[in-house]
Amino acid sequence: MRTCKRYLRLYRVLITQFIKTIMQSKVDFLMGLFGFFFTQIMGIAFLYLVFEQIPSLKGWTLDQLIFIYGFAQIPRGIDHLFTDNVWLVAWRLVLNGDFDRYMLRPMNIFFQVIAEKLQPDALGELLVGTILVVRSLSKGIVITDPLHGILFFVSIFAGALIYTSIKLFFASFAFWIKVSGPFLQLAYETADFAKYPTEIYAKGIRFLITWVIPFAFVAYLPASFFLKSEASGVVIGIECAIAVVFWCIAYAVFNKGTHVYESAGN
Amino acid sequence: MGKRLRIYLPFAANELKRKMAYKGAFYLFIVISLFKSFISYYLWMAVYGSSNQAVIGGLSQSEMIVYVFMVYVTSSVMIPISDAISDDVVKGTVAMNLIKPIDYRLSLISRAVGSMIYNFLAPSVFIWIGVEIYKVTVLGLAPVTVERIILYLISCIMSFLIYVLFDFCFGMIAFFTTYILGLMMVQEALLGFLTGQLIPISFFPQAVQTLFEFLPFSSMIYTPVMIYLGKYSGEMLAFVLARQAVWIVILYVLGSMIWKRVTRRLVVLGG
Amino acid sequence: MIEVNHISKDFVSPKKYPGLRGAIKGLFSNEKIVKTAVDDISFSIEKGEIVGYIGSNGAGKSTTIKMMTGILNPTKGTCRVAGIDPGKRRRENAQNIGVVFGQRTQLWWDLPLSESFTILKEIYDVSDESYREQMAFLNRVLALEEFFDRPVRTLSLGQRMRADLGAALLHNPKVLYLDEPTIGLDLVVKDNIREAIKEINEKYQTTVILTTHDIGDIEELCSRIIIIDEGKKIYDGSLDKLKDTYGTKRKVSMEIRQPYKAKNLDLAKMLDVNTQECLTEYDKENSILTVTFDKHKLQVPQILSAVMEQVEIKDVQIQETELAQIVKEIYNHGAVEGV
Repeated sequence: MRTCKRYLRLYRVLITQFIKTIMQSKVDFLMGLFGFFFTQIMGIAFLYLVFEQIPSLKGWTLDQLIFIYGFAQIPRGIDHLFTDNVWLVAWRLVLNGDFDRYMLRPMNIFFQVIAEKLQPDALGELLVGTILVVRSLSKGIVITDPLHGILFFVSIFAGALIYTSIKLFFASFAFWIKVSGPFLQLAYETADFAKYPTEIYAKGIRFLITWVIPFAFVAYLPASFFLKSEASGVVIGIECAIAVVFWCIAYAVFNKGTHVYESAGN
Repeated sequence: MGKRLRIYLPFAANELKRKMAYKGAFYLFIVISLFKSFISYYLWMAVYGSSNQAVIGGLSQSEMIVYVFMVYVTSSVMIPISDAISDDVVKGTVAMNLIKPIDYRLSLISRAVGSMIYNFLAPSVFIWIGVEIYKVTVLGLAPVTVERIILYLISCIMSFLIYVLFDFCFGMIAFFTTYILGLMMVQEALLGFLTGQLIPISFFPQAVQTLFEFLPFSSMIYTPVMIYLGKYSGEMLAFVLARQAVWIVILYVLGSMIWKRVTRRLVVLGG
Repeated sequence: MIEVNHISKDFVSPKKYPGLRGAIKGLFSNEKIVKTAVDDISFSIEKGEIVGYIGSNGAGKSTTIKMMTGILNPTKGTCRVAGIDPGKRRRENAQNIGVVFGQRTQLWWDLPLSESFTILKEIYDVSDESYREQMAFLNRVLALEEFFDRPVRTLSLGQRMRADLGAALLHNPKVLYLDEPTIGLDLVVKDNIREAIKEINEKYQTTVILTTHDIGDIEELCSRIIIIDEGKKIYDGSLDKLKDTYGTKRKVSMEIRQPYKAKNLDLAKMLDVNTQECLTEYDKENSILTVTFDKHKLQVPQILSAVMEQVEIKDVQIQETELAQIVKEIYNHGAVEGV
């Protein structure tokens, strides 16, 4: 309990510091936010153009696709906001030996890694996600009973955890190969596939993004549960199970990695 | 010319070497870069499957498949240089570049040539060959003619120049704000639309299409790909190629003007 | 306080080839190279000792330190710091130690120094009371107030080193590791840092292990030194003994006008000592005659006048044997007594 409090207190101190640094460069912050926001808006514009030509895509309407798109942004944005520093582990902290500093302090290493940075750009994703979900709610295409309401938040949390786990898993390769950025990027970008209904893909790809790098469980599958009354809540259960299992594996690999960490200068 | 080549060739060669040094990344980035094309491919397949028309936006389903992957091949000539400018500004090495008897823009473009050759050799050429094989065997279309390949390549080289010259002008923003990353994201997202990378320009409403005709961006990707698809012929073909050439000249002059102003400012401020 | 038993560390890396063709070859090759950075080293250090840990670049100094701090896990052997295995119980060990790497700061680059200390206070769970006490002490010996409110990135190298040292000591560690703490600093700052280390050691009986290339650090601070070369320990003992045994050599280099006469000069014969005590070497290309001699046996004027009887001298340089040279010499002679 005491330890937990200490961690929370420390997190607050670190993040407050970080926010102060951001506030010193407000323009940078706003530009980053705008950049992300704009990229997302373009994604939506693309959908509009496509739907100029067709009434529905494999049985999905434009409004439904926009909900899936927006819903997918929220867990992604949460993960992006809180654990962005994991990318640095993959790209350079292990390579140049800066990871040393985490090893020298009497605290949990993963905690130290993520506590060092908040990624304000992620607010762009969260903003777009929220706007699109609210839009969908106002159009009345989303099921809004209490059960769905609760599961909505559960699903977002589990989805963010899946994102974090996949990131941590691939970033941890860096302990063996120094730079794992390309692998992490490979895994991370498969998330783009899950922005659209998986029915449009070939079987192999569908299997890959559902069960191997399960981004379908972060975006399209739970989103369809909130759209279609006949869909079963089991999908959220599976999502949670995947989140827990993937997290345990990723964290174990990360821990193992810190034991084979070689530092730099050799 | 020979002397110039001797000065700037090492920039290109170095860039090529640097890129090849990361062997794991080498293979992986090919796969990653293809993701977007495959997503578009499946999405368009579904769109054509859901539509009751055989031709959408002036393209048949088979042509759309060729379009999607030729966009990938053509995109390999779009080598950003604004990030390098931003780096140089942040590290303060721009001033160093002014002292050397080297044209800064030319050295950046030479580096981009290195990257472009690398991108073009691996993987673009292979994807291209793949597209042709798929086109002939699966889609049952006629193979591309030699004449059209030559026209396409000429157009691609001009695309490369238009893009780097444009990105040089864009990179000049780095002299005024330290944070160009957000703007680069905006640029990338906008270019996705304006160049026809994300969706053929013929999908836009007529008014928007006309507007795009007056911007340099459609000359970057849409033009060479449409040439490859054989959508232009005769006078129209000559016109789009000439338009590319005109943009090269305009952007070159514009870049020189901005650069002159920026360096003057740099000298005054002591860079 | 510290027990190191037959510790070794291997690094495995993929083979690299030079040039453009090499880069292409590298794409398809999978060869590995194993490098043993630390090779079967043992020693033990008592509470309150200040030990200099020295060796040339790449000798394995930093690797050993990193194993003692828990950053690296040894390939073979064990290590205990205050009774704790740093590799296995990293967090407990971290609470007991303070570390300063001269070339890399542990502080938060963009934050004011004061904020870094606030964060460290939380990380090491230092109580308000001991924080006040320790800060008062650190301010006295390191004068941190001068720049306490400035962001770390704006500090000069000397200030940053003081700040880093302070940060490493905030939780009053039992063991302090210093990896080249005076590198790149000017003489005054070096002196301040050394004084501070001494004072801390006296006040808290902190065990200090320091790696350095600076003989001044060693002479000012260390009662004992451990020398390693190519991953092996080659000397472990007091500095005085080392100097007595190996630091007795001086070297005189003379540029000579009549090179043809220099060939047959043999100072040992002329001054009636053996070649161990006085070695004459001649560098034909630059016409430089170098005499290496035992400073207990001979004096510089003796050498000079003996040479000048025979040839004309253009220029003279006198060198004291440097620690680095002693180390080299020890290595060339193989193992030393006391190991």
